[in-house]
Amino acid sequence: MLDVQGVSKTFRDADGAAWLLADRLDLSVGRGQIVAVLGPSGSGKSTLLKIVAGLEPSDAGSIFFDGADLARVPPEQRGFALMFQDFALFPHLDVCDNVAFGLVEQRQSRRDARARAQEMLAVFGLAAHARSRIWTLSGGEQQRVALARALITAPRLLLLDEPFSSLDAGLRAGLREEFVQRIRAAGMATVLVTHDESEARAMAQRGYRLTGGKLHSLW
Amino acid sequence: MTRLIRSANPYAQGAVALPALAFAALPLMFLLLMLLAPLLRLLLEGVSDSPLDMLRGLWQDDYLRWRVVWSLVQALVTCFAALLLGLPVAWVLARYAFSGRTLVLRLLMLPFVVPTLVAAVGVLALWGPRGLLGAPLGLSLEETPWLLLYGNLFFNLCLVVRAGVDALGQVSASRVAAARTLGATPWRAFWRIEWPALLPWMASALCLVFLYSFMGFGLALILGGQRYATVEVEIYTLVAHELQLAQAGALAVAMLLLTGAVALGYAALEQRLSAPARADGVAPTRPDGLRHWCAVAAALAVLLFFCAAPVIAILLRVASAGTAVWAVLLEEETLLALWNTLRFTLVATLLATALGLTHALAARRSVWLRAAALLPFLVSPVTVALGLLLLYPQWSASLLLLVSAYAVLAYPFVAKSIGAALDSLPHNLLQAARTLGASPWRCFWRVTLPLVAPSLRRGMAFAAATAIGEFAVTLFLSRPEWVTLTTLIYQRLGRPGDANREAAMALCALLMALALAAFSLIEQPAARPLRAGVSASRTRSHA
Repeated sequence: MLDVQGVSKTFRDADGAAWLLADRLDLSVGRGQIVAVLGPSGSGKSTLLKIVAGLEPSDAGSIFFDGADLARVPPEQRGFALMFQDFALFPHLDVCDNVAFGLVEQRQSRRDARARAQEMLAVFGLAAHARSRIWTLSGGEQQRVALARALITAPRLLLLDEPFSSLDAGLRAGLREEFVQRIRAAGMATVLVTHDESEARAMAQRGYRLTGGKLHSLW
Repeated sequence: MTRLIRSANPYAQGAVALPALAFAALPLMFLLLMLLAPLLRLLLEGVSDSPLDMLRGLWQDDYLRWRVVWSLVQALVTCFAALLLGLPVAWVLARYAFSGRTLVLRLLMLPFVVPTLVAAVGVLALWGPRGLLGAPLGLSLEETPWLLLYGNLFFNLCLVVRAGVDALGQVSASRVAAARTLGATPWRAFWRIEWPALLPWMASALCLVFLYSFMGFGLALILGGQRYATVEVEIYTLVAHELQLAQAGALAVAMLLLTGAVALGYAALEQRLSAPARADGVAPTRPDGLRHWCAVAAALAVLLFFCAAPVIAILLRVASAGTAVWAVLLEEETLLALWNTLRFTLVATLLATALGLTHALAARRSVWLRAAALLPFLVSPVTVALGLLLLYPQWSASLLLLVSAYAVLAYPFVAKSIGAALDSLPHNLLQAARTLGASPWRCFWRVTLPLVAPSLRRGMAFAAATAIGEFAVTLFLSRPEWVTLTTLIYQRLGRPGDANREAAMALCALLMALALAAFSLIEQPAARPLRAGVSASRTRSHA
């Protein structure tokens, strides 16, 4: 399970002004659990996810997973998947190759990786779009591709950064249900970052608010 | 205490990019050996007395003073004329949507890849004593400044127009609309809203126009004649014909001092213009009424007269000369020149690609490294060649030195083009790849490289076009058996008789065809371009 211990992070802008984004934060997420972190824009939610993913250094503190300190583990070896707010799909690859990306990095042959990606796309109702370019998909379809890409490698931890913020309200409700089912079926630990409390309550077993660098328990 | 529990994750953030310093070593070493050390050697040669005495000596020599003053005057007149003609043309192209507009915008790239020698021959084919326009109009423009000024405009008008179109695309539509609703006429809206936004772009473009005109060699050598040749031609004459290296060195140092300030201004403006593009640009509208159509026709006429006519003149002259003229293409001398041009271009382009790619990757987080990539743009090829000749006399006829000199002049195109693409590469794509299991090297191979590939190709094509048309360095560092198409054209122009002149035209057509091949590569649209910058297209070789 994920165990964040005493993580601190201060952001400094070009003028030297400092913001405390995380102040000795502690957070635990068990296997199969979804934990939500709420907060306004700029409160440091996304930075927290990037610190956990190994993409940003913390000023202090440690991240453990299943008891192992991740300080010297590079992002690609952590076995986590981060789903970005704007999906970060690769524009030079088609839908199938986007989904297969992580499997290829696990040294699976391209043929096998594509076959697995096809199966995954079929589960997500996107089989017909396998050879499509990313920019031809709707927002909801891109969202599903991003989740399929994140889940296909069976990550130990799923990090979701405002996963529904760029979608309209109708699509958001439907996808939220679908996401929860798929994540639970996969049985992985998940950290959801959002500014929408109703969304967080609908998805997560526990919720925290991040303000002033501190996590406050909401439920 | 904080220090004790500080998380020391060496893989976070900074490690997303490959190690910058390791990449910087190759291009920096190359710049040091091929540019900075030769310049330093030139300084030592040129500044034998105190720098002030040297400059005073140059100024007291009537002949050399005229060369320096004329070089300055022709560059300033070119800047003024390019702005006066180019800005209205840019405005029309940016604001009016008419059939063929996209083609015109693409053709604006053409002079960027036309070798200077082809341009010079084109100007002679048009305005020379037996030129297409010169002969029927009874004009005798040889030994006047007009040929050189016209040649300068052939290259630089397109540069200003392109910069203007790009700049006008950045002007906020809502600000222009707000000005109009507040009572500004279209002219007042241009003057108070659009012009201030255009100013840095125009200043940047004019810096380049000045540098290219001031440091230009090929055009001045062929079109300037005895009286209107520039300092660069004088340096070449002093070295090649009079063997006065010290005086040539002093002139080159004076040139460096004069161009230094402009070059610094250009580098500062470039830095400022690298800000991201605005999303709400003014959309072009269809011309409405006779006045608008007249404006479009006038803009196209200006472009036709200054930017297309010399190229058309060469083609017409070759076509009217009959089929016999093409026999020159099969002569042994031509085949050797073609072979040399192709092999030098290939090796120089590959070397420039390696240098440009490593420089761009290294310069992502360093303003200084980024500025260093501009250095070869800011030093004239004649100065580079002279410096190399002085520093490495034992290798003055070495193929390695010649091709390396080509590469040093060409690689900034690759570095600039890839740098712009890297700037526009969304950072989270690399982060996504890392979280999906890709190491930094795999990130580069599977994400960065495919996404910057169109810009890489564009930069390589510019580098190839530079090498194909290279003339100044070849004249200095080449051996007779390494004749290239440009030096062969120059030789043919120097031989008497119409047959040689027509053969030069045919060779120009061949050289232009090679340049056009590079041009088609440059302008080949990418399947899904990133926000790859226009910056690479705003610079060209000035040989």
